[in-house]
Amino acid sequence: MRVGIVGSGTMGEVHAAGWRSTEAELVGCFSANREQAQRLAGEYGMRVYDDYPALLNDVDIVDICAPTYLHKEMVLGAAAARRHVICEKPMALTVEDAQEMITACEGAGVRLFVAMVVRFFPQYRLARELVAKGQIGRLGVMRLKRVSYLPQKALDNWYADEARSGGMVVDLMIHDFDYARWLGGEVERVFARLNQAADGPGQYAQVILRHKEGPMALIEGGWAYPPGVFRTALDLSGTDGLIEWSSDGQAPVRSFTLTREGGAAAVGLPVSGLAEDPYALELNHAYRAIVNGEPFAVTPQDALEALRIALAAKKSIRTGKPVHL
Amino acid sequence: MRIGILSFAHLHAEGYQAGLRTIPGVELVGFSHENAEEGRHYAAEYGLRWYPRHQELLSEGLDGVVVCSENARHRELVEMAAQAGCAILCEKPIEASLEDAQAMRQACERHGVQFMTAFPMRFAPSVQNIRAQIQQGQLGRVYGVNGINHSEIPRAHRSWFADGELAGGGAVMDHVVHLADLLRWCFGAEVAEVYAEVDNLFYPGEVDVDTAGLLLVALSNGVQASIDCSWSRPTWYPRWGHLKMEIVGERGALVLDAFAQYLTLYARGAPRNPSWVGFGPDPNRGMLEEFVTSIREQRSPSVTWNDGYQALRVALAAYQSAQSKEPVRL
Repeated sequence: MRVGIVGSGTMGEVHAAGWRSTEAELVGCFSANREQAQRLAGEYGMRVYDDYPALLNDVDIVDICAPTYLHKEMVLGAAAARRHVICEKPMALTVEDAQEMITACEGAGVRLFVAMVVRFFPQYRLARELVAKGQIGRLGVMRLKRVSYLPQKALDNWYADEARSGGMVVDLMIHDFDYARWLGGEVERVFARLNQAADGPGQYAQVILRHKEGPMALIEGGWAYPPGVFRTALDLSGTDGLIEWSSDGQAPVRSFTLTREGGAAAVGLPVSGLAEDPYALELNHAYRAIVNGEPFAVTPQDALEALRIALAAKKSIRTGKPVHL
Repeated sequence: MRIGILSFAHLHAEGYQAGLRTIPGVELVGFSHENAEEGRHYAAEYGLRWYPRHQELLSEGLDGVVVCSENARHRELVEMAAQAGCAILCEKPIEASLEDAQAMRQACERHGVQFMTAFPMRFAPSVQNIRAQIQQGQLGRVYGVNGINHSEIPRAHRSWFADGELAGGGAVMDHVVHLADLLRWCFGAEVAEVYAEVDNLFYPGEVDVDTAGLLLVALSNGVQASIDCSWSRPTWYPRWGHLKMEIVGERGALVLDAFAQYLTLYARGAPRNPSWVGFGPDPNRGMLEEFVTSIREQRSPSVTWNDGYQALRVALAAYQSAQSKEPVRL
């Protein structure tokens, strides 16, 4: 199938690289930043499109890597054009928008895949499988960490604009809300606190989830570290055992070399192993599921529920009260 | 200086007796313990004189006592020790109820004796380093602290830890006070609000107390902090558990792992395999030295009754919050 990418920023680039490992034909790219789009298109042998409808016209699947606030309109456009959709996370800024996107795609008979990539990280997948197999008994307390730095953008940093990105709690912490729900089931109660810099985007949040079936989770997220530092960790404890993993720990390759100054990536992405890039795994999975008409491992409804938890966390931060779902 | 240990019920008594014996000028007179079988056992194990009655030990003319009873029996022993005119080092948590803790303060004031709450982590060099960095403003304004004091269930060491009557609770009562105290001490602020989820998620049907607890608190200076006090490490974990604090602020983060100095040992037939064998400094030693020095200098110790009391308020507020499903203001 023919694939077109919307957006040429960090995620556009990561996805373009991921598509290369699939059988899809990467045909084109559309982006508000034409110069950036041309560079990306050159590297991946794609055509640059001047507008979104033109791109939709030439593809079977559109991969939306544009800023979050544009997702809804673009997904609705793709559904109207009867194109399958891959959409970056968070899928939308409100639950209503997310629902509208799901309904539109269902109505048009096209597939919608939301790129909840943490479900494709090998250590997160394996940990979930071990829990599902009963290796640690009944799940008790989950601890999930995802602390990084504010994504950097030379021009117009939309990440720092909560109205367009949903802010750190929605943009970054949604991964762990989804993961906690994947393991612990539906969430009953959310309590959260967030502190931020008086004059800047720096912030740090802690969220306690209580799941309906009993487990509880502490989820930590932040844009608070110096650029280049991204730490993630999981700690899953149950009645019969424990799973620990931290990005501080072992890695298959580590380098201690003299590097040039200012080498931090624009948007912090957790590093995975070498052979199995989670973004490639995710796109391969989505592509095969679309081609073969098979179900996705993570559904749009999962993505919507993760968003619902993130928005509940924001409400709890605002009100100082727990939010009951 | 003559020191005694009132009750060997708390497992820390084992470390304290060893520590007290290494401090120059201290004579460890012995310990009292009402259960004769256990008393004889500990006496033989540690080569200590055993007193079957607390009053017998207290009549030996002691300068100070370390109270290592079950939490809910602290008041009784503290009142006896105060009456005997002994300075008191009392195991944490200070008591199981605020009322009993208040009665202990009154007894000490009435008899003019000093009272110290046993918060050994204040004496860990790593904790002191973190506190200095916070107070020097290394992080700028601090956003929050991710506090971890999760462990195995301690019932294999002493069964009363999982007895609600004697312990006053479970994991929350056992562990919250350590981090509550370190937060108060590092930031020079009080805990202003507590939200908590508390439940028995790890040993349902086996024990009647809480075994899982997650707290999210706000300090009076605006800093937020989480405390994980769960008994969530399995009993086959390489060590009892952890004490960690990650402090996140405007200028980055500081990560404290107070027991990071260990070797990993794989020994055939060991009860824990592998096991983490620590080589870091023993914080108990510094705490016991402060207790002894405060007696010698006839001054109040650096950790006070109020420190123990404020930390207990946080633990009790956690139970209240979990019950009401609302944040509790202190």
